[in-house]
Amino acid sequence: MNTDRRTLLQGLGGVLALPILENALPRSSANAAQAERPEAPKRFLVVGNPLGMHPENFFPADFGTDFQVSPTLKALEWLQGRFTILSHTDHSMKSGHGRELSFLSGVLPETAHAFAEKNMSLDQFIARQISGTVRYSSIHAALETGIRMVYNGNGVEIKPFTDVNSLYDYLFLNFTREERRVRKELFDRNGSILDSVKGQFSKVWSDASASDRQRLEQFATSVRDLEGRFDERTEWIDRDKPKFDLSKHLAVDEVTLVNRYSAIFDMIAYAFQTDLTRVATVSFPNELNYTDVNGVNRGYHACTHNGKNEDIVAELVAIESFQIAQMSAFLMKLDAIDEPNAEGSMLDHTVVLFGSGMGYGGTHSCRNLPILVAGGGFKHRGHVDTRDASGNNMPLCNLYLSLMQHFGIERDSFNVSTGAFELNHA
Amino acid sequence: MRKSILALVTVIVATSISAADHPLLTQHCGDCHSVDDPEGEFSLNMLGNEVTDESREWWTSSFDFVKAHEMPPADDLNITDAERTAVAEYLRQGLLADDEVDKTHRLVPRRLNNREFANSVASVLMIEDVGTHQPLGDLLGDALHEGFDTNGDALGISEYHLEQYINACRGILDAVVLSGEKPVSARYVVSSDKLRMSSQSQRTTQAKRGLRREDSLEFTDPRLHIDFENFETVPTTGRYRIRIRAMGVDRGYYDSEATGIYDGDPILLTVSLGDRQFTYDLPDNKILDIELDEWLAEGTRIQLTYPTDGLRLIGNGNFKFQNRIAHDYIKEHDQATYQKVLREVVAKARFRKESPSHWSHWTDYWRGPRPRVFDGEIEGPHYESWPPKRTVALVGENPAADSAESILRPIAERAWRRLVRDGELDAIVQLVQRRRKELGDVEAIKEGILAVLVTPSFLLINSEEGTPADRFATKASYLFTSTPPGAKLRKSVASGRYSDFDSVRELAKSYLTEPRGDVQPDDALRQVGSRSQSKAFAFLDEFPRAWLQLDRINFMAPDPDRYPFYHKKRVSDDMIDEATAAFRHAVDNNLPIPELLTANYSFINADLAKIYGVQNIAQDSKLRKHVFTDGRRGGFLGMGAFLTLTADSLGTSPIHRGVYVLENFLGTKPLPPPGDIEIPEPDVRSATTIKEVLQAHVSNETCASCHRSIDPYGYAFENFDVAGRWRDVYAQSIGTNSPENEAKAKRTKKRNRNRPTVQETPIDSSATFRSSDHYNDITGFRRLMQSDANKERFVRCFIKKLLLYANGEEPEDFAELDQILNTSAQHEYRIIDTIAAVVHSPLFRGE
Repeated sequence: MNTDRRTLLQGLGGVLALPILENALPRSSANAAQAERPEAPKRFLVVGNPLGMHPENFFPADFGTDFQVSPTLKALEWLQGRFTILSHTDHSMKSGHGRELSFLSGVLPETAHAFAEKNMSLDQFIARQISGTVRYSSIHAALETGIRMVYNGNGVEIKPFTDVNSLYDYLFLNFTREERRVRKELFDRNGSILDSVKGQFSKVWSDASASDRQRLEQFATSVRDLEGRFDERTEWIDRDKPKFDLSKHLAVDEVTLVNRYSAIFDMIAYAFQTDLTRVATVSFPNELNYTDVNGVNRGYHACTHNGKNEDIVAELVAIESFQIAQMSAFLMKLDAIDEPNAEGSMLDHTVVLFGSGMGYGGTHSCRNLPILVAGGGFKHRGHVDTRDASGNNMPLCNLYLSLMQHFGIERDSFNVSTGAFELNHA
Repeated sequence: MRKSILALVTVIVATSISAADHPLLTQHCGDCHSVDDPEGEFSLNMLGNEVTDESREWWTSSFDFVKAHEMPPADDLNITDAERTAVAEYLRQGLLADDEVDKTHRLVPRRLNNREFANSVASVLMIEDVGTHQPLGDLLGDALHEGFDTNGDALGISEYHLEQYINACRGILDAVVLSGEKPVSARYVVSSDKLRMSSQSQRTTQAKRGLRREDSLEFTDPRLHIDFENFETVPTTGRYRIRIRAMGVDRGYYDSEATGIYDGDPILLTVSLGDRQFTYDLPDNKILDIELDEWLAEGTRIQLTYPTDGLRLIGNGNFKFQNRIAHDYIKEHDQATYQKVLREVVAKARFRKESPSHWSHWTDYWRGPRPRVFDGEIEGPHYESWPPKRTVALVGENPAADSAESILRPIAERAWRRLVRDGELDAIVQLVQRRRKELGDVEAIKEGILAVLVTPSFLLINSEEGTPADRFATKASYLFTSTPPGAKLRKSVASGRYSDFDSVRELAKSYLTEPRGDVQPDDALRQVGSRSQSKAFAFLDEFPRAWLQLDRINFMAPDPDRYPFYHKKRVSDDMIDEATAAFRHAVDNNLPIPELLTANYSFINADLAKIYGVQNIAQDSKLRKHVFTDGRRGGFLGMGAFLTLTADSLGTSPIHRGVYVLENFLGTKPLPPPGDIEIPEPDVRSATTIKEVLQAHVSNETCASCHRSIDPYGYAFENFDVAGRWRDVYAQSIGTNSPENEAKAKRTKKRNRNRPTVQETPIDSSATFRSSDHYNDITGFRRLMQSDANKERFVRCFIKKLLLYANGEEPEDFAELDQILNTSAQHEYRIIDTIAAVVHSPLFRGE
């Protein structure tokens, strides 16, 4: 039996209330003050899909804190008062597939070059701010193809892990002593290769024209970033990862979509709990076969183009409710754990953003995006109509600006934002 | 008064007159395009005095509209043909005089995409492919831009890419440069009991089995694969001899209607060595001795599979339900066996399996067409010499770190596609010498080769490094073959060849029509519709796919309940093959490009014939040329690929099809709807036709101004349903949702529900363009598409798409585009001549 995979530790909310935290700082970069008095970390999770939500079933009928929970959000009933639904936000995108890629930045890849920060996604801004010393600055997971949602500061898409086992291996599998040696040697060798590449590169650079330099600069940044990552990872290699038991999810007769997603969410919850990472995204791709979910026979995308046929709408709502239920189970787990070194549960220190860059696939509308914020210890506002006095939708970037500020990023605008969205009720 | 002054100005500087003041434009366009809130969000002011970077798009689209007679619309009765021509000429001259456009035609460098990266590494290391151990498995996928994987902006580079490149190249190099003691060869005898059947799908943990006989193992389910119990993976890199004995059995035993496998199709067996695949046509009931001698990397898995698109016709398409065919057959033909199974198997069944026809009772009696694999033998690793030839070819017999410079120089020249400059290798040579002590000479030199492959000079193409000749050779080679140029091409370009159109034409022709040198053994067996065998196979496969955005075909696949055949026979694959076969046919015969669009023939097989309603054609999967006599099909306009990928899963959309026709066949880009427009969701419950829905939409003026120019390009296809089948009426199910039906539906299984009433509505596939051209149905539309003006639009579109593929960015220089179009026209728009005109153009050469 592989002892790495099966452990004595119960997963979450189980026997052991306080799992061993990743020792947050590698020694060399440890900050003495922080080491003495650990501060409760803030965390961020994004859950996204590419096709929006069936609006009538997603948005509650009434506004305010006392709203009636809508059919799709049924699984979140237990959390009422601790999440906010934002109606009428968007990125002012025209209709159509492909524009949902702007979900976390408000910027499309093809226009990203016009923005200094490209189409860098919200989670990456936050990761850069709060993940300085943890092992993984962010974790991205999905099944099948994943969705295109996360972009780094170069505007390059970051792909998620798309199967449970590779996510497990990445997060929890410890290296053997030999593997550690080999890895360290490899980082060292790769580092030297980059050094010599820089030598050749400087020649190319000095002869290059302005237009060539544009792309060459991207290359140079990549080399620098990679060198940094080699250094970081070299320090982490000798340290053990937390242990996690995957068997209860996968050692079953039939591994379905449902238990694969709950495995993903469990692993991320545990990675949060053990401070392996503080930022994560989980997505529900279009290409996935959702027929493991009760009541679903069709493709996800096909269900959005239901022609208002009630049977097919019901299948769509089943898929969407499944996404919400998976997230709800995650929230419940975090809420059952007391935050070490601070008041409240772990959920009170974790912001969860659910949403899509598309409003509703059935109309291809990229307006009125389905957006929900949970946790984070806010005085949540229930269901908010974000339109201004003249009835215009609020830029979703306003919410993102507030979230950035919440995580300590000092700035007063983000891409097309017009102000900050107040996350707490009066 | 004002008018006469203007006229005077016109005479003096004809092109600098502002469009908004041009008398003809004011008169015929001003009413709609010089007002507040102008139609189509376009005002004459946006054209300004002349073409600028900001206004270029407006000039181009205005020119397109005027030239197509869409603007001014036909309801402007006062405009004469001469005036139309004058307006078009004014716009054309403006575009030709565009001096803000970048006349250097410099391209921004871009990263190699993953296809090119794989080919390039293999070419630099002088090996057949990157290796059988799937060393590129972790590369990030490339983002597509309008279907193309060559767009510089979409091909980002990051530290993730860089790290994967290092890791991938390390893996590849480890299987090329071998050193130390020569490994000992071994022989693995794979007797039939060592053949192991398992499932390709990882979704269940159930063990799978085929039909095991005393001397062999047979495939039943196409999702199974066979591997060898006593040869899990290749233990040591080297050359291996592989022998497998197999035959095809029971072809035609069952009715092909039931199995979904045509009697005319061969029974195939694919041997996969990692990503390297060989497919064999197994003779019926006669053993084929398969012999391979291949260089295999350590860790390679050898797997056998049975490729077929059949055996999925029953139930939800899972193979297991096909076993019912065995039941039906035995019940009819073999009562003794039937009774025996009833007694011994069915009687002991539990749960819901008491029905004799349940698939689970008959798995042991399956006699569908299938490969029977007897046994195999593997021997290796063996080497023609030690160190192996490929190692010696790359780094020499006894590579020493001291001679790193001379070892690395030729490698770097191949990789960088140019001469190495003085001092350029210094840092890399130092790396080798520094590493030598701890790693030894050979490993140290490998580090140096890796460094060469991680430089921007290798990873980025279209940079200004090297001479213009180097750049042209690189571009031409990547265009046609997605590989770096060979020494021969670089030399002949450097000697001044290919500086005139005729020699470029020869170059294009040789790439496109001469057979590739390295025809794989399986190519001889491949069917029409899979890969091309010309040198330019990469181009001939990739370009039409990208141009027609065939990757999107199942983005909105036809509804599986209503179009089961489409899904169960994977008809989308046939549709894609049809499109690429048509493109290859045009190249093979150097046909005029417009024939691609409107030819009266296409390339179809029995599956496509079912969709297209064609009778009396060979019952197999091979694509063959078929001439349509009804004027409805043939060419891209009649292809299932286009008709399916532009439809939703339940309904068709003239808008989607119209936009697709405009963007991909006629080369104009309609603006997407403004963001503040509420678009009504189609409602299939109502009895309105799509045309009625759209007409309601078009009665809204904001929508109308654009849709009048889009929708007529889509209505013609309304007779084709979402899977491309012909239909004369819309068939619509109504009235299913009565309360008692609902309740009943909940109690009973779905398939037992009451059949809904079907209402039939006639289809109106006529439309009138703004030019007043009118068609009644698809046959009329196809005739209009064959006008000289539309032929020219199609060819212009082809040229732009080709440049997008070749350059990774959209061409902007109208004058040069026009020049290519002229050359093409002089050669009857023939495709090779047109491709040559593109390659010869400064737009391609970057000059």
